Parts: sequence; C-alpha cells; structure tokens
Amino acid sequence: MNLGTRKVLDRSFTSLGIGSIVVMALALLVVITPIVYNGLGAVFFQGTIEHRKLLQDEFHRGDKAQLEREIEESGRYRMEAYRMLGEFEAELEGMDPVKARQYRMQLGPVKTALQGLLGPIPGEEPGILTRFRYGQTRWEKAEEKLHELLYESKWDYSDPNVMAKEYFVRRAESFEGTSLLPLFSYVEQNAEKMLLPRFTAYWGFLFDKSVDAHIFGGIWPEIQGTFFLAIGAMLFAFPLGVVAAIYFTEYAKDNLFTSMLRSANSTLAGVPSIVFGLFGLAFFINTLKVSESKSVLAGALTLAIMILPTIIRAAEEAILSVPKTYKEASLGLGSTKWNTIVTVILPAALPGIITGGVISLGRAAGETAPIIFTAAVSVGSAIGLADVLSSPTPALSWNIYNLASEHEMASEIRHVQYGMVLALVSIVLLLNLSAVLLRARITKKLKG
Amino acid sequence: MMKRVLMLLIAALLLGGADVSAAGTGIVIDGSTTVGPIAKSFAAYYMKKTGVAVTVSESGSGNGAKSLINGACDIAAMSRDMKPQEIAAARKMGVNPVQHVAALDAIAIIVNPANPVRGLTRAQIAGIYTGRYTNWQQVGGPNARIVVIQRESNSGTQESFKTLVTGKASQITRLAETQASNGAVKNRVSTTRTSIGFIGMGFVDSSVRPIPVDGVVPTVESVRSGTYPLWRKLYFYTNGVPVGQLKEFLSLSATPDGMRIISELGYISR
Repeated sequence: MNLGTRKVLDRSFTSLGIGSIVVMALALLVVITPIVYNGLGAVFFQGTIEHRKLLQDEFHRGDKAQLEREIEESGRYRMEAYRMLGEFEAELEGMDPVKARQYRMQLGPVKTALQGLLGPIPGEEPGILTRFRYGQTRWEKAEEKLHELLYESKWDYSDPNVMAKEYFVRRAESFEGTSLLPLFSYVEQNAEKMLLPRFTAYWGFLFDKSVDAHIFGGIWPEIQGTFFLAIGAMLFAFPLGVVAAIYFTEYAKDNLFTSMLRSANSTLAGVPSIVFGLFGLAFFINTLKVSESKSVLAGALTLAIMILPTIIRAAEEAILSVPKTYKEASLGLGSTKWNTIVTVILPAALPGIITGGVISLGRAAGETAPIIFTAAVSVGSAIGLADVLSSPTPALSWNIYNLASEHEMASEIRHVQYGMVLALVSIVLLLNLSAVLLRARITKKLKG
Repeated sequence: MMKRVLMLLIAALLLGGADVSAAGTGIVIDGSTTVGPIAKSFAAYYMKKTGVAVTVSESGSGNGAKSLINGACDIAAMSRDMKPQEIAAARKMGVNPVQHVAALDAIAIIVNPANPVRGLTRAQIAGIYTGRYTNWQQVGGPNARIVVIQRESNSGTQESFKTLVTGKASQITRLAETQASNGAVKNRVSTTRTSIGFIGMGFVDSSVRPIPVDGVVPTVESVRSGTYPLWRKLYFYTNGVPVGQLKEFLSLSATPDGMRIISELGYISR
C-alpha cells in the first residue's frame, strides 16, 4: 500500500479511537452527573423545621431544647397565618350563604396547600399517615408548595379543537376584599421564618429505616438487603464455580460430554436474568420449598445460579493462564495432582479468580429481575442475619424500580429514588474497586 | 485495615436487624399494585403498634393469587375477585381462599390535563379501547390520534376495567400500549398529551385529569351513592378463616384508624 494512504488510514483510525473514547466519557458524564448531583441531594439539602421534628419524633435524634425553641420561634409566624385563616372562617359564617359556599369551595385547596406546606392546621385533626402529619421537610419542595398556595393552575379549555395550555392565576385574586387576602402575601414573605430552613446533612438517609413507605426516613433496609443477597449469592456461587473450573481445566477429558457441559455453561451466561427469576420461583420456592415464601435464601440461590457461569469462565481463564511450567515443576518434585492444584495452581490463579468473583458480586447486587419473585418486597423492615433463611427483604435494585413506577407519590420523592440509585452505583463501584485493590495486593504477594 | 473495615461492615449488618428478628414470624402480603398503598400503610401502622414484621410486595393481583395458592404469602391483595380457575387451583393445593373486603375504589379514566375533552360515556370509552374510535375528534376532542394505555394481563384493574366497560370477552385494540402499574400509567398519561388510561382513584393527582364518565366525576360521594359507574371492591384473600395476628391485621380496615388511613390515601372505606 502507498505510504501516504497508510498514514492517512493510521491517523483516521487514531482519531476514530479518540473520538469514541470522548463520546463514551461524555455519555458517562451525562449519566453520572445527575445521579451524583440528585443522589447527594437525598443526604445534603436545606432541611426545614419539619424535618427536624420528624427526626425527633421518629428517631429521637437532634437537640430537643433547640428544637423546642425553634418551634416556638416559627410558631409565632405560623399563628399569625392561622389567625388570618380563622378570621376569614368567622367572616364566612356571617356572609350570604350562596357567596359563602363559593368562597368555601375555593378555600379548600388553599387549606390543603397550607397544610402541605406547614403541616396540620391547629384545631383540625392531624392525619394518621405520617405524610399528613408534617409539612414539607425539604426547602425546595416547600417552595413548590408555596407556589401551589399562591397560584392556581388552570387549563384553558375554551376551544375544544386544540390542546389546552396551562396558565396560573393568583389565588389572592379570588379572595379580593375579604380578610383572607393578606394571608397570601404574609405567607409568601414569611415562609422562611415559618419553616426555618438550614443546611442539613442527613446521614440517617443511609442508616435509618423508611417511614411511611419511603416518603420520609432512609434506605438502610434496602442497603442491607442488597448486601445480604449479593454476599449470599457469592457464598453459593464462588466455591461451586471454582470447583467446576478446576474440574473443567484439570480433570475433564475432551469428549462430547464435557464439550456439551462447556457450551451449556456458555449458554447459561447468556440467558436473560428474568428467566433465572422465574426459574428461581418455580424451582427453589415452589418445588424445593427452601422457604415458605420469598426469602433472602431463595433470592441468593437464584442470583448464585445467574452468576455461576461468569465465575466458572473467569476461574477457568485464570487457571489456564498459570504457566504450565509451574505445574510440571510441582509434579516433577513428586507432588500429587490434588496437592499441586491446591498449593501451586490455585494461589497463582487467585487474582484472576477473585476479579471474576467480585465483578459477579457487583452484578448480583444490581440485578432486579431474579429477585422480583424470589426475594424482594417493596416494604419491609431490616432483617437480622437469623432471618435470612425465611424472610424476604427490600433491596435497592427492586425498590428503585418500585419508587419509579409503582409508588403512589413517585413524583414527590424523586430525591429518595436518586439517593437509592447513587447508593447502588456506589456499592457496585466500591465492590469493583476492592477487587482491583485485592488483586494488586495478591499479585504483589505472589511476586514475593 | 481492609479486614477491620470488613468486620465493621459485618457487625453493622448483624446489629442493624437485631431488633426486628426477635419479633418472630411476620405477615407476608403479595399482590395488587392498586391495593399496595393500603397494604403498605396498614403494614407500617401495624408494625408500629405491635412490632410484628409485615412485608408487602406489589406484583399484581394475578401474582398475588398465585402466591397464596403456592403458600408463598399469608395475604393476597387483589383488585378483583378470585377467578373460578384460581379457586379450583387453590383447592387442589389444599388452600381455602377466604375473601375480605379491604376498601372500595373507583377506576378513574384519566387524560392529560391539556386535553379539553369534556367527558366520555361508557360506550365511548369502550369504543376507544376496542379500536372503534382512534381520534379524539370522534369523541368531542381536538384532532389528534388517541394513544390508548392499558394494563398488563396480570392486573386486577385491567380485569375490572374490562368487566365494567368493554365487556369481558371483547378484545382491546392492538394499538394499545401496556404499562405494568398504576404509577406507570399515570406517568405515561401525564407526559403524553393525547393519551388515555385508567388507574385506581387513589393514584390520581394533579398531573392527570380524571374525566367524568356518563357525566359523573369520580369522588368519594359519587362512588358511595353508586352514581359513578366504574368502581370495584378491593380484597385481601387469606388461606382459611384468619386467626391471631392475621385476623387482627385484617380487621384494621373496619377500625376508625384503618378507615381514616383508607380515606387519606384516596380510597373509599366500606
């Protein structure tokens, strides 16, 4: 080939390579940035006094004396707003019934919005569900609620032949000339004094149980469940996988049977995870009855089967890459085959085996489909180690899906969902990082 | 160093769950995503009151029934009646399904808030879902193709919808999109301006608009009085007549607190 053409080809290939790396890095950035930013938002945010009340009531944390001072301080501003509300309700009593009825209908949403912002209105019975017992715990959510209080969203349906447009009307306009009018500007100006937002680092997000179906509280049961499932899967899959790999590389003869086994193993590696999930349900729970219902054990076994092929392949590769001379030297010195495998080959192959194992561990932690039917529940408390044989558990991967699609207040608790995503990504990343470190350590040790 | 971190981690895992494990066997609930919010809130309420661990999975009414039949759950939450085949299958496994009404629920027909359509009759909704109407213009809306959203075959809400609107035997249009939960349908409708879907009333919020059916808006009053046509009962099923903590848990829906929870969640207590 012409030298010039070769150079051009060479250069274009280089730039193509650089280009694809840049695209990949950008894609990663696009994916990771919102996860990290919003995920950190679950822990670090402008927490209002409602957040501190919740922590005190549910978890008995925080400075009680200071909280009481704050409640008193914010209470003064709140009382003023409630006074205006009460005054208006008294005014309604004396009003022309038709007009009063009209005002009452408009007052309903105002009260709901005020309740959403500040929590239950004094004199009215607070809800039983925790979500109705507190106002907004996060300042950015409070600002949204404040907007809801001040403006009414309306849609212009005047022309039935086109899609309507949303527009906002100041609620104050409908209360022109009544004693409620000053409430709107008062709340708008004093919202901060009523809620006392300040920067909060809510570490409890990682270590608390959830309160009222993840609307408040943390994600500890999910984190713990994820660890239980991943480690449980490893306990089953790792020894089995290594033994199988030893068999394949050292003992198996090259015949039809072993080649069938090998191709079966490769096929298993490519089976979609939902198939493993259904298999786990049918086999471990319905047939073997390893537990009465979904359980960590059944989930771990299912995950174990899913990651087994990967572990076998990784271990096989690692064992095959041990130089033949090691084995020959050991056998030549009179060692038995088994002894050679245990004392010479396995230690030399260990870094590769462990890498495969930990990457599978990460995969087990992140998979959703295999645990839907075998282990995961959307609400449950953290379980103790004694319960893993019989109890199901919440797990990050499943609960992320649940919060995204099934939760009745999904759009209100996006921060929890992002927090879970960040936690899961960090766990997988940490596992992979530890694999790299472990591998480096062992390799160093082996070199002496 | 590494070892110490590992030890700490294991210790934390062990300690984390220690308080609950003493509570003994808990209650396992599986089934409908529509009943999910009630089941979850009852679970939280009951756990707080008695310390009994209650777990809730939301995998759909059909899966709930299967779980109960296989003895994999204590309570199956369902948004429809158990089918004769399911009851037969249960009997064969030695399971005797007993029905408990948890609450009433309206099926809200929802459209995007931007959609100016005034209301639909049951016949019009059936027409949309069977593929007779494909454009909003045909039912009094703007000129736009109707994006039809339905639920998966496992869904009790889907079954109830078919029973109440299109008739059990009729085929839903092949152009209909399938979503796997109430939340997913709501999400899809709130982001697609020309879509129509149906969800349990408890899931309706300001991101979608429930439209009047036969001229009646779904509210607590209109369902109670029977003027809103699309409503069904939500059930808890147990194996045999419940005793002990199961009985106590199920009777929650008749207690004042339980009824408050149901209405706070947007359902209708019995």
